[in-house]
Amino acid sequence: MQPETPAVRELISTEKNYQSAEVWTKVTGKAIYGIDLRLPGMLYGKILRSSHPHARIKKIKTSAALKMPGVRTVLTGSDLSCSPYGIVINDEMPLEPEHVRYVGDEVAAVAAVDDKKAEEALKLIHVEYETLPAVFDTGEAQLPEAPQLHENFPGNVAWRREVVRGDPESAFRNADLVVEGKFHIPQFHPAYLEPVACVAVSEPDGGITLHTAVQSPDIVRDLLAQVLKLPLSRVRIVGPVMGGGFGGKVYGNLNLYLISALLSMQTGLPVKMQLTREEEFTAGRPMVAAEIKMRMALGNDGTFLGREMDLITDNGAYSAQAPWVSNTLAERNDSVYRIPAIKTKARLVYTNKVPTGQYRAYGNQVANFACESLIDMAAKKLKIDPLEMRLRNCVRPGETTVHGLQIKSCGLAECLAAATEEIGWTKRKKGHGYGLSAAIHASGSVVFDPNLRGASARISLELDGNISLFTGEQDYGQGTHAAFSQIAAIALDLEPSRISVYSKDSLVTPYSMGALGMRQATIGGKAVQLAAEKLREKIIRTSSEMIGEPVIMENGRIRSASGRQVDFTEIAHYYHGQTSGLTLTGEGSYVPPESSYDDTKYGNIAVTYSFAAHAAEVEIDPETGALTVHRIVAAHDSGRIINHLSASGQIYGGVAQGFGMSCLEGYLFNEGRVANPTLADYKIPTALDVPDITPLFIETDDPEGPYGAKGLGEIVQVPVPGALANAVADAAGGWVTEMPITAEKIFRILSNRGAAK
Amino acid sequence: MSYFTAASLDEALNVLREAKGKALIIAGATDLFLKGMPSQAVDIASLPELGMIVEEQDYLSVGAAVTHAAAASSPLIMVKAAALAEACAAVGSPQVRNLGTIGGNLVNAAPAADAAVALAALGAKAVLCDIDGRRRVEELGNLYAGYNQSRIDSSREIVLNLIFKTCQFNEGSAFARFASRRALSLPMVNVAARVGLENGVFAEVRLVAAPVKPAPTRLFKTEEALLGKEPNEETRQMVEELASAEVKVRGSLLRCSADYRRHLIGVLAGRVLMAAVRRVQDKEES
Repeated sequence: MQPETPAVRELISTEKNYQSAEVWTKVTGKAIYGIDLRLPGMLYGKILRSSHPHARIKKIKTSAALKMPGVRTVLTGSDLSCSPYGIVINDEMPLEPEHVRYVGDEVAAVAAVDDKKAEEALKLIHVEYETLPAVFDTGEAQLPEAPQLHENFPGNVAWRREVVRGDPESAFRNADLVVEGKFHIPQFHPAYLEPVACVAVSEPDGGITLHTAVQSPDIVRDLLAQVLKLPLSRVRIVGPVMGGGFGGKVYGNLNLYLISALLSMQTGLPVKMQLTREEEFTAGRPMVAAEIKMRMALGNDGTFLGREMDLITDNGAYSAQAPWVSNTLAERNDSVYRIPAIKTKARLVYTNKVPTGQYRAYGNQVANFACESLIDMAAKKLKIDPLEMRLRNCVRPGETTVHGLQIKSCGLAECLAAATEEIGWTKRKKGHGYGLSAAIHASGSVVFDPNLRGASARISLELDGNISLFTGEQDYGQGTHAAFSQIAAIALDLEPSRISVYSKDSLVTPYSMGALGMRQATIGGKAVQLAAEKLREKIIRTSSEMIGEPVIMENGRIRSASGRQVDFTEIAHYYHGQTSGLTLTGEGSYVPPESSYDDTKYGNIAVTYSFAAHAAEVEIDPETGALTVHRIVAAHDSGRIINHLSASGQIYGGVAQGFGMSCLEGYLFNEGRVANPTLADYKIPTALDVPDITPLFIETDDPEGPYGAKGLGEIVQVPVPGALANAVADAAGGWVTEMPITAEKIFRILSNRGAAK
Repeated sequence: MSYFTAASLDEALNVLREAKGKALIIAGATDLFLKGMPSQAVDIASLPELGMIVEEQDYLSVGAAVTHAAAASSPLIMVKAAALAEACAAVGSPQVRNLGTIGGNLVNAAPAADAAVALAALGAKAVLCDIDGRRRVEELGNLYAGYNQSRIDSSREIVLNLIFKTCQFNEGSAFARFASRRALSLPMVNVAARVGLENGVFAEVRLVAAPVKPAPTRLFKTEEALLGKEPNEETRQMVEELASAEVKVRGSLLRCSADYRRHLIGVLAGRVLMAAVRRVQDKEES
């Protein structure tokens, strides 16, 4: 039963606000999360982690732990037969056999009958280390005398990229104005409410079933099979409800999954593991930290002529997705505006700190902080309105950007106009600061895996006349499944509530890349549309076969020219009988065209692109630098909005998260150790901190996405840092170039200007 | 761990006596998980005799088990000791304020405990009772042994209540804090003041800041410089300068630099002082 109040009933009464049944289980506390799972006979696993930032393991003694009552097995790196693995670079082991590279590195694991015994057993494992010199700074790590973290990566550079487009040299030579800045961005953690948790079950056939809530189960399944050397069909991932992911759970925590699987294979019993909050911060995969040096060349009229970027990202000890994130960080912002010349140098550097990965928007949002600050610095020097300058340069429909992105639908100029209009850009309150920022984000990458660019879906008519939809696309709060029900409902002329969506078992759902790169609504949704259209055809064909005359389908009803009506149940039973048990099923696959991506990575990388402009209004206490963010107006072109309630929810949440990242959060380190590994000290916003947020939708009609829709989930966070940096600069008279934008940093700017008391 | 909810003060003292140092008093327990569990806990948070706010002549007695939420919404405290109401309203979050008690805040001995800072400015004294039934009255400053360490031995004594003189017609008090987040955030600084005006000039000032030392710290030099001065913009600026010059503070990676902390103490000192003065002036005008 759905506990609806009249207000909620009103809110979800329209089809545009439809919510799936799972939403109610979350609201009422009935949802079963990974952390809630319990299986009969289950053991609990715990990990012993390195207490040194850099050391060799000389000896590990496990005998005392093994003898402890209640302990079932102890594993160390030397027990493993697997090879180093990785998402991009094979530089990591589930348990390091001889070389630990950060405080938190996995050294040994225990499975015991309960949590406490597993924890106690860790204390009985004796590890003898030989400490090695450690390096925490990306600059020092590149020096010849720096300790090497990985043999194959001299200078500790894990990944590098240099790219030149157009003629940056002449752009800077001919520029009327050159602005430059240096920006510092720390690691950020999505701080989802539910730490990564899993239960691994070793199956009688030698395979593994892993119960875990992860954004891309099929990719995790591939990796598990590869590392554990199991046939793919013997690895199955079953998903409970996810307690928040925000891009941080695309791969969940692979070492945790592998260790629990190994412990389960060793003991023959299910093994549950979950990270503590502290482990999430110290041994999870926060987003890469970045040092950005940037220069921009402009003409006197504010035309952008060129941009140079020197980017160093802090990889931490292992690579995870950091090379990809660094790449997006390095180039995506170049396509927000027409910038004819680009020169970018990017390096990803190993340090003895927590390894990094991704978070919502893949670093696009931290690059936005630098790029958009620089634009306003230039606007101020040229005395051009920041809105005017953005409108003059922003990308328009039909254009190809400097990196070869082909822009089809694009409402960026309209987003800029709408956001500024709503915030009162020309009717400013005295003493308040106003800032603007714009963004592009790829929706549905076709280069992430060039061999698997699209998506597929399967949809069946059940005997009761309802519809079951099978998809590999994951819903962890974004409202993907509600949107899929709606998309299928349009194709089948039904109410969305008659369409149930199943996505949580890799054994039965179609293969998918999962929730990443704003692909699900666009690519996954398109596959749903195509599958539903196929089912519709089959239903019509079967009906007319059944009654022997042509039929049409309308408002969920089927009738013939003679007026004979057939309902879905009747057709389902007819087909069931004819085939001795089959259901009418439509399979849809959407395969976008191949990318034109060349060796320099020039080319169209995605099915389509979403756009946004945010405007922020802030106030600063001149005596202390204390910042009050009054309001953020978030104008978005995500094509046709399928579900207004879910889309608004994405904006509220993403902007709140962007605000936290911009003004409160960020890792602090003390000799390589995370200094703020708790939610008391890693400060995410409370309800009192979150500003007033106004979502606005500029609904373009995208030619590619299902019924004109494009992605929204990641881009909501992208413009926030830039808009806030510019609003603060408007009020304080100078830019804070280091995230987060704290009162103390603002105060320093005020003091330097002599404005502060 | 054993958990005992005392029904009376005598019962609580008896349990302590019998446990011979193994049982500890808890009252709110909002920091218990951070500090580690005692083997035996004696909960006094629901003792009625410790939950009262009583005015007797010119004095206010606030029971040690009065919650922050109760103190923040008590009309008596709001009118006669506004700094304490403001401080209690600023603690943690609604959940922490509903459970956490003023006595607990004090015995927890955090260097920048909001209620403790306000109580120090109000000139409060703590009434304690030990397992032998001996009662004593202590200055707040004497209750601290070091950072986060109280002199109060919770295995053998209990804070009963806090007593201070209410703000009279010519007196006012105020509290302010500065933190990076609007809730659930330890303050970078917190400052409280109690002032008495006579003939339009400061006749009495107590100005307290934290975290400066283990205990809330009075800024004696600034207080003294204020006596006889008129409360005006010039005085406020003087306070800002004097207060930040008077304190020796530490910086921390997690909160802020020492310089910024010193600056904030100055700004907040000026603000609480003027807010306390306004409270006097409001009374005079009405």
